[in-house]
Amino acid sequence: MDQNEWIIEELESVFQNSRDYKQKALIAATQQLIKEQALRVTQMEGELDGTLWSPRNWNE
Amino acid sequence: MKTLVIISHPEITESGSQQFLLSSIADSEMITVHHLEGTYPDGNIDVVTEQKLLKQHDRIVFQFPFYWYSSPPMLKQWQDEVLIDGFAYGRNGHQLKGKEFGLVLSIGVSESEYQAGGREAFSIHELTKPFQAVAFKTGMTYLKSCLIYQFPYMTESQKMTLLIDYQQFLTRAADDSLFTRENWLIDQLLKTNKETLAHGDDLLLQHAIEAIEENRDTIDGLKMVLDEMNG
Repeated sequence: MDQNEWIIEELESVFQNSRDYKQKALIAATQQLIKEQALRVTQMEGELDGTLWSPRNWNE
Repeated sequence: MKTLVIISHPEITESGSQQFLLSSIADSEMITVHHLEGTYPDGNIDVVTEQKLLKQHDRIVFQFPFYWYSSPPMLKQWQDEVLIDGFAYGRNGHQLKGKEFGLVLSIGVSESEYQAGGREAFSIHELTKPFQAVAFKTGMTYLKSCLIYQFPYMTESQKMTLLIDYQQFLTRAADDSLFTRENWLIDQLLKTNKETLAHGDDLLLQHAIEAIEENRDTIDGLKMVLDEMNG
């Protein structure tokens, strides 16, 4: 489990234990944001892989 | 940045969506909530006070239920009497220039009906053209709207998302890039009340902030490499 997955799971219990509605919403939004960041990283890594393997660069 | 939320709703205490939005606003001197029907039950608007309020704020928000493709009548009266020649437009009327302007609409029909072929036939962006024109004429920057469709049918999870979207609409920089949203969220996490967390959970929130910052570093690093490779 990577750091993002770990903290998202931990935040789930923070969410459950919080006694304030607005705070719960903030914690849920934090989970969503970290998921969005993780997806962005995956997409950029994919783009990097694609660029490295592009035939365009084979003759260089 | 100071935000003025001008609400027009004839029966605000009966409105679940308006009450939800009101309770979503954090106590802050940076936000002024101004309910027109509550302030002027007799319908006599104090134009000088209203203009002074506008001048004191950087972001002006109109919040209302979408009635017959427009606002409740009080907000139209307010526009007619407050946004006058010499104040909002005309030779010396530059008081709103450079401010931001946005709409928060509660809408009773589902989103998918507001399009060609849908029951309402036109998009919200087409139907709110008069408000866009007001912003244009007065020199304000028009923000993306905060549109709330069929509030009573929202799930608890959707309501929580709305709460945060609405808070951001009122307080976050207009740019909605991931980077801007990260900064806004970190700021909120730092400010959140530790008293309502379980013992030790503030440490986990600190870890969450660190994770967001580390992810940002990774994204920036990847962007740099990609920019170099793509010349």
